[in-house]
Amino acid sequence: MPHQADTPAPAVELSGITKRFPGVIANSDVNITVRAGTVHALVGENGAGKSTLMKILYGMQPPDEGTIAVDGHPVSFGSPADAIRAGIGMVHQHFMLADNLTVLENVVLGSEPRKGLGLDFAAARAKIRQISDAYGLGVRPDRLVDDLGVGERQRVEILKVLYRGARTLILDEPTAVLVPQEVDELFGNLRDLKAEGLTILFISHKLDEVLSVADDITVMRRGTTVASVSPSGVTARKLAELMVGSELPVPELRESTVTDQAVLDVRGLTVVGADGRTVLDDVSFTIHAGEVLGIAGVEGNGQAELVEALMGIRVPTAGKITLADRDITRASTRHRREAGMGYVPEDRHRQGVLLEATLWENRVLGHQTRPPNARGPLLDRRGAKADTRRIVEEYDVRTPGIEVNAAALSGGNQQKLIVGREMSGDPVVLIASHPTRGVDVGAQAAIWEHIRRARADRLAVLLISADLDELIGMSDTLAVILRGRLVADHDPATVTPEQLGSAMTGAGRED
Amino acid sequence: MSVGGLAVGLEVAPADRGKRLSPWVYALVAVAALVVLSVVRLLSGATDLTSAGTVQAALTAAVPLAMAGLAGLWAERAGVVNIGLEGMMVLGTFGAGYAGYQWGPWAGVVFGLLLGVVGGLLHAVATVTFGVDHIISGVAINLLAPGAALFLSKLYFSDAPGGGQKQSPRISDAPKVTIPGLSSLLADIEAKRWFFVSDLAGVLRGLTTEVSLLTLLAVLVIVGTAWVLWRTPFGLRLRSCGESPAAAESLGVNVYKYKYLALVASGAFAGLGGAFLAVSSGQYRDGQTGGRGFIGLAAMIFGNWRPGGLATGAGLFGYTDAMALRGSSAVHALLLLLGIALVVVAVIQYRSGHQLLSGVAAALGVLFGYWYFSTDEVPPELVGAAPYVVTLLVLGLAAQRLRPPRHAGEPYRRGQGV
Repeated sequence: MPHQADTPAPAVELSGITKRFPGVIANSDVNITVRAGTVHALVGENGAGKSTLMKILYGMQPPDEGTIAVDGHPVSFGSPADAIRAGIGMVHQHFMLADNLTVLENVVLGSEPRKGLGLDFAAARAKIRQISDAYGLGVRPDRLVDDLGVGERQRVEILKVLYRGARTLILDEPTAVLVPQEVDELFGNLRDLKAEGLTILFISHKLDEVLSVADDITVMRRGTTVASVSPSGVTARKLAELMVGSELPVPELRESTVTDQAVLDVRGLTVVGADGRTVLDDVSFTIHAGEVLGIAGVEGNGQAELVEALMGIRVPTAGKITLADRDITRASTRHRREAGMGYVPEDRHRQGVLLEATLWENRVLGHQTRPPNARGPLLDRRGAKADTRRIVEEYDVRTPGIEVNAAALSGGNQQKLIVGREMSGDPVVLIASHPTRGVDVGAQAAIWEHIRRARADRLAVLLISADLDELIGMSDTLAVILRGRLVADHDPATVTPEQLGSAMTGAGRED
Repeated sequence: MSVGGLAVGLEVAPADRGKRLSPWVYALVAVAALVVLSVVRLLSGATDLTSAGTVQAALTAAVPLAMAGLAGLWAERAGVVNIGLEGMMVLGTFGAGYAGYQWGPWAGVVFGLLLGVVGGLLHAVATVTFGVDHIISGVAINLLAPGAALFLSKLYFSDAPGGGQKQSPRISDAPKVTIPGLSSLLADIEAKRWFFVSDLAGVLRGLTTEVSLLTLLAVLVIVGTAWVLWRTPFGLRLRSCGESPAAAESLGVNVYKYKYLALVASGAFAGLGGAFLAVSSGQYRDGQTGGRGFIGLAAMIFGNWRPGGLATGAGLFGYTDAMALRGSSAVHALLLLLGIALVVVAVIQYRSGHQLLSGVAAALGVLFGYWYFSTDEVPPELVGAAPYVVTLLVLGLAAQRLRPPRHAGEPYRRGQGV
């Protein structure tokens, strides 16, 4: 660390932090020094121990060994309240906001200004406005959080932390839910905060972003800090290799395998939601055998509805879906699956796996009527177990066995199990919604490789992802969905993430 | 209150999310409802529709329902579904009977409230501390409380003067107040049977004559709840436990504490509702609550988990209850009223794009109209069922865009949300 004698004490100094959980060492001998008034990035793969470290710093878990110093003074936190008192605030990756409350209520909750017995709304409103203006957050206190977009919610979270007088902000994967334009806005906000003398600890695994905003970078791997670098002296590729400890996978397709045989044909698909809003509006596309169609879009623009309509979970209001020359518009989900549709859902806990069921039982789900899982009307337990072992083997699912509950697996391994299951039974179409969300680099590479191989075997794939590099790298054709419509087609060979990003927000609609 | 309630409730449904209607709109709707009532009264000749007596009876019937609804509101705003309201009300009626005949009505109210708190604490221990499913705990309380009350009443009331195995001795009623002068003036106007003016006078006289202090207490409690829950830090924290306990916890709110406090308040209000029931009917009787805890919950849902809304709902149910007490000619007129209300619902739903609902409401409305014009009276067996029928129809057809607390009914464990 560059650290001259006349510089102020570091805002946060973690030394020798070690944290053990039964069977796992989450952190071992972690050392980080965060200079005051800087943006400090902490990068590492999923499972590298970043989140545990931040929970320790935010007082949610005590460290087993090591010390924490804030502004040069050693501290020990028993709860987040202690951390807040010491001027440390956390913006969680999953927003901690109550949708049915207003921005003001969310912000002041827990440290309300009082007037007599009542809440002093005027003072709260004034203070929120003042903070919002001082840092250019543009937060309006009286709006309902439910009506806010993702970027605005994040700014409310930041404001919440500032309202409590935090001088050091921890941002846990703040860009995971944002589109590129929102990321730029966020970084603008962070620079403003830094200019006001605040310190920001920024957790991410998106290296381009880290390089563009951070002053210092600390890399974590397998629970410990492996390097401290400055962004000027390092490239994204070098950083990534520090993170992984080896060479990196890249999302890319080799030669084109697109054939002219249409597999999935969708015409004029329209879905009207329960509240009367048209959530999917006249969507048409064709996917050929051996083709990957990527769909880019900001979350909530109809992707979920599109996938659900394709899988028969949601009844379309109008339109026609044809699978290999068969009209399946009215077919049930089971019939669609039996006809060869595979489905990797976006939320694996909601739709993909039963956490409290064993791996082989999860293997049976969705394939319960077909061999090797069924023999006539009965389940074939032996066949299912044997096939589960095959998936565990081929897809490198790290598990102690196939009799353990899915909950015992990490997210990445659950995802590999799902992908393995959906690739079983020779599907002709795979609907993949965020197939690599929340999985580490190794698993990501494995999942890409499986999709590539199946594509070479003439599988048609619909790929929906928030990771624009993945979309561009893995798609043969790219479409952008905006407010329920497919608004633009792009050639993945030439498009840049920035162009896609502006198409996704509707900014580039003049073309 | 009750009269305006009918139409106010129906108007609220199509309003846009988050958009508040101005008080003038409510006033206008209330006037319109009164005009409709007036027309129905002229058509049917059922003077009971807007008589002071009906309004008084409606108020008396509405207060326990409103208290039950308020009890549900406190619990659900803090994220706990309290289906045990019925049982807590039973405890309240017994408490009021036990203390009321010995030490007077106010002692009865206090004792009923305390027994309700016991029920609320039981629910809190089960759901908050031990993580029992809220419905199971509530049902258990509903099974337990009437049994306990019956056992205790056999123990204490069988030998008491004027008491029996299933009822307490008489309790004297709480004092009643009347605005002097105004009441007799309004009575004169009401007797004239003028269109609208007499109806207004009848309603106002009902609201200002012989009003029990218990009713005034109930109004205070409802207004107080609105202030406490929406205007104080305490209320914000309590509501945050129902909206997002994880967020509340991350900001240092002790979620368990607020859930406990909310359930104590919930039990207290349910007990209060039971005590009002016992005191206003003059004694504790076995089975006195008759499902009012559940209707109170329905009133709360109808009122979109808000004090004003649940008061409106309770008023509506109280009004139909009062009509049922007034006899079959009043209920017969209620048919026409319900028919008109359903047609209004149909129009509103049609305009907000719910064709199916609109069709169902319109068909039912026409059916009720036909029933009214083709008969002269309602079979007496159906008279008592009127409040429940109205409950069902109103809940099913009017309230479509509700905003319940996001995490009501979900188990919460400390440290799991973060």
